[in-house]
Amino acid sequence: MKSNVLFFLGLFAALLISWEGIVLGSNAQLGSLAPYYDDNQGGSFPQRMPGSAARGQLVYRDLGCAACHTQQVRRPGFGFDQARGWGDRQSVARDYIYQPWPQLGLSRVGPDLANLADRKPAPPGEDELYRALYAGSEGMPSYRFLFEERRVGSGAQGSDVALKLSGADRRAAGVEIVPAERARSLVAYLLSLRTTYDYPESFPFVPAPPEGAAAPKPAAPAAPAPPDKAGGPK
Amino acid sequence: MKTEVTASDSSSRNPPLLLLLMALGWLVAGGLLGLVASIQLHSPRFLDGCPLLTYGRVGALAETAFVYGWLANAGLALALWVLGRLAGEPLRAQNWALAGAVFWNVGVAAALVGVATGDATGFALLGLPGYVHLILFFSYSAVAVSGLLAWSGRLRQVSYASHWYAAGALFLFPWILSIAHVMLFSAPVHGVVQSIVAGWYAQCAWTLWLAPLALAVAYYVIPRATGRVLASYEFATLGFWCLIFVGGLTGGRHLLGGPVPAWIPSVAVVSSALLLFHTFVVLLNLRGGFSGAGTAVRFIAFGIAAYVLGAVVDAATCFHAVAAHTQFTFFDEAQRQLALYGAASTIFFGGIYFAVPRMTGKAWLSGGLVRAHLFLSVAGILLLAGSLAGAAAVQGRDLANSAVAFPEIVRHTRPWLVAATAAQAALLLGNISFFVNFVGTACRIMNVSEPAVFDPPRAMEAPAP
Repeated sequence: MKSNVLFFLGLFAALLISWEGIVLGSNAQLGSLAPYYDDNQGGSFPQRMPGSAARGQLVYRDLGCAACHTQQVRRPGFGFDQARGWGDRQSVARDYIYQPWPQLGLSRVGPDLANLADRKPAPPGEDELYRALYAGSEGMPSYRFLFEERRVGSGAQGSDVALKLSGADRRAAGVEIVPAERARSLVAYLLSLRTTYDYPESFPFVPAPPEGAAAPKPAAPAAPAPPDKAGGPK
Repeated sequence: MKTEVTASDSSSRNPPLLLLLMALGWLVAGGLLGLVASIQLHSPRFLDGCPLLTYGRVGALAETAFVYGWLANAGLALALWVLGRLAGEPLRAQNWALAGAVFWNVGVAAALVGVATGDATGFALLGLPGYVHLILFFSYSAVAVSGLLAWSGRLRQVSYASHWYAAGALFLFPWILSIAHVMLFSAPVHGVVQSIVAGWYAQCAWTLWLAPLALAVAYYVIPRATGRVLASYEFATLGFWCLIFVGGLTGGRHLLGGPVPAWIPSVAVVSSALLLFHTFVVLLNLRGGFSGAGTAVRFIAFGIAAYVLGAVVDAATCFHAVAAHTQFTFFDEAQRQLALYGAASTIFFGGIYFAVPRMTGKAWLSGGLVRAHLFLSVAGILLLAGSLAGAAAVQGRDLANSAVAFPEIVRHTRPWLVAATAAQAALLLGNISFFVNFVGTACRIMNVSEPAVFDPPRAMEAPAP
């Protein structure tokens, strides 16, 4: 290579191709994805996050929760996501359009959270999430710095949201553990995570079986669910 | 072989030595953070009361210190040294490089403070908060000016493979960073496109920035240190352009099965397989390193082996049948360590062992510390990648069986993760000995009474057993 100009033009062209192809290409396809309007339900989906949940997403991001938790359910037939009750359908790009910072994640040291508020068999409640964050577990650190320890004067009424702890974490009478503002936002965010609405694109295309062959056991509903059957948020 | 020390070595040594000092400082700091993260992975209670060191942040801190502290500084230092030597005259714009080196490290330090106090981004390989991008962009460009002037002002018109890789990395990184900054921070794209941009950035940071920096060093040092010309050198051009053109297209590698259009991971599958051509050329060209002697060559040969293995594994895990077992497990971390530590870092280690005696005109302070570093690095990397892959196998099997709950998965993977912690500790120990040896050697420049050892060149490298 003798020409400096050609060399740098080549480098630039290579970068331009991958940027144009991968980044701008996907942005053209997905960047202006609109919510899906459902006539029968009289509303559009996904719905915007409430303000407290949007604040919670910032807490989620700044604590690096995505280091251990993904927020993407893979399609039936690829992986184990449905068997673990993380979601009946795959996550689609439309699920994320109102998230300012989608946290898809790369690692499942802990469970997937894309559809936490509708997890099978039973979604966790608010108390359960607070306790999990406060006490931690074998595989998850505790986040005590998101909670406040407060004294309750004798005869005074304790906080409604004080944690009901048992075992080693139990506090003496007159002391209560209350989630701080960040913990409340985080839990509000976690409880807002639900992908229950079935978009037309959320079921993968399943080719019809060839003539004479036995129909394979469908791993997913074979046809896109018509909007009138789709379950809105419960 | 006549003396290999050129006049340009001593007159252009200040920017590379400053960058290397910073690099090794970050290497030790990043190793400490990596050790903490590794302990927390099997014992989550470790330091969990400290909000600055909660696992999600420590992992991002360790990665940032390692990539932008150690790899970037060391790669820049060696690229400047290689380009300066190939130019055949002292580096120009050294003040730019020195100022750039200082501000780059100020930027990295600010990034670490930002991540620790709550400005993490949650993107892999781009944990840098948005506000440090500008300083990193300008300081990197300032350092690159010096290297690119050495490229354009070279005395001979021909250029070599190490030229292309070094100049390519110096030129491309500011573009990649600025694109990521605009599309993720100053005018963020919507929804999952952010994940696509972040994935594209992470792959480009490897294929268009860190891997070329490492290859520049390998292509320069191997023929010099073995005294043989590169085998099949006529293919090197193809190998280079294959990496540059195809590397950026592997951006959707991690999005397999994710909420993105299927063509993105499909392009990544094809590109990863195409990239094997580049890997094959690298192996073909640099195979002389495997039979070479000397510390520098041994480090680099290990790095080349890790590079080739990593590329093969990357291509394999793109396929659905393999990804069904490895996706979202520790295997990803094993691959990352194999690439960033096994390939890039060991090649940089070898380059530093080769370059520093030539820059300073002094032999390494201690041969024992060099041998300890070689042993601890090789053993540590093999153990680290192996134990993470073992943990991934257990985790992949358990995850696929929905009857196994998460606490049980933690129990099953714990022995492997403890082994990974031991590996991190061994690597940290090796890197501390490297740091001590480097500082001691660099301090010898001040000691004027000691005679400079210029000849024979072999003795100036770390003593080979």
